[in-house]
Amino acid sequence: MKRLLTIITLLSSLLLTSVLLAGGVYQEPDDFIKQVFDGKPPKAEVLWLNKNLKKQIESILNHRYKGLRIRYWQHNDDNNHKSVWVLNEIGKEKLITTGIVINNQQIEQIKVLVFRESRGWEVRHDFFTEQFKQIKLKDNQRLDKTIDNISGATLSVRAVRKMAQIALLLDQNIRVKKSADSKQNANSKTN
Amino acid sequence: MSKRKPIKFTAFLWHRRIGLAALVLVIILAITGIMLNHTEQFKLDESYVDNHLLLNWYGIEPDDDPVSYQVNKDEEKHTISAWNYQLFFDDVAITHLEQNMHGAIGAEQFIVVALENAIILLSYDGEFIERISTSLSFNNIQRLGMKYKRPVIETSKPLYYMADEHILDWDVTINEGIDWAEQHKLSDIDRDKLLIAYRGNGLKLERVILDLHSGRIFGNYGIYLMDAAAIALLWLSLSGLWVWSSRRSKMRKKKHYQKHHRD
Repeated sequence: MKRLLTIITLLSSLLLTSVLLAGGVYQEPDDFIKQVFDGKPPKAEVLWLNKNLKKQIESILNHRYKGLRIRYWQHNDDNNHKSVWVLNEIGKEKLITTGIVINNQQIEQIKVLVFRESRGWEVRHDFFTEQFKQIKLKDNQRLDKTIDNISGATLSVRAVRKMAQIALLLDQNIRVKKSADSKQNANSKTN
Repeated sequence: MSKRKPIKFTAFLWHRRIGLAALVLVIILAITGIMLNHTEQFKLDESYVDNHLLLNWYGIEPDDDPVSYQVNKDEEKHTISAWNYQLFFDDVAITHLEQNMHGAIGAEQFIVVALENAIILLSYDGEFIERISTSLSFNNIQRLGMKYKRPVIETSKPLYYMADEHILDWDVTINEGIDWAEQHKLSDIDRDKLLIAYRGNGLKLERVILDLHSGRIFGNYGIYLMDAAAIALLWLSLSGLWVWSSRRSKMRKKKHYQKHHRD
């Protein structure tokens, strides 16, 4: 009887601990950005969303997107273009905040920073986020690899996958914008 | 005198009676069930109820008063209000808030709204531009003001930070020459307009359909009513089967009699 009671107490305390540790702030977005840039984050920049880009985002999200600009942090050198995005998307009822690092059009890192839902927090674990590494965006704006679902966390998985797609799409846009700007600068110098 | 056996007659009679009694409830169960299975397609979670009877039935009325600030740009005047965690631009609901509002000002390019640990930017047309979460060193916003047409915030320490013109970076500043935002009291007419807007975003259609399906919309005993409808449906299936099988055997006997006892 004593043994049974001990087992029940142990199991319930384990369950309680896992529930208490489940949701919350895993890392402040600012700390994530500092960590990505080794403590020296660059100045934030903003990407204004034109009609076409907003439409593309909404088609990925499958609902309306509120917002006209998105901020990002980027680091550029000759061989390396890194951009960092902190995006929010609703899992079932509440927002999930995710930090995404894109390096040369591939996902370098994805991390769930704040999880506000009561279920589906398993998406924070490395076994799930590791799947996104080196993933690219296909022409149809889908990821080029399949992401395995987690049973009981389908909506959270879907939200994180959508954020990964959007981060890659936004990164594409800032690259296009940058190359257009540099061409314009070159032309103005020639003239 | 009827030759029907009493037990069969009773089953048929109760099948009919219960069928008629549960008709409306079963229709409600079936239709709402289909709707809930296709919430996204029917956009139930994005649609809001604006029927006064239903809103009153649900008792949707904010407890406290709205917190409002008036913002000006040239001759444009707008009222930014927060009411029960909902942000309004004049009487248009903009977004849901998770924190209290601590001020709103009209900066050069945007309307800036300060929450406890976040800043919201709106355009002068009332479009939501961005929600900026403030850093660890920059939380517990107490007040929002304006200096050189740029937003300034006061933290609980107190420290003062002024934003650049694009509201991307914040620099430490001193508490001098800051025009702090002051709360604005709404007139009764404006409050009523805001209440209509608030109620418009207060009750999702999904919740009504869900409550209709579970019976909760009819009060505490509504769930038992829907339980009764479900039990009735179960009874209808079983009694229907009973009536069908007894009629089938009766017909078989009749056919057999006609075939073998024609003469």
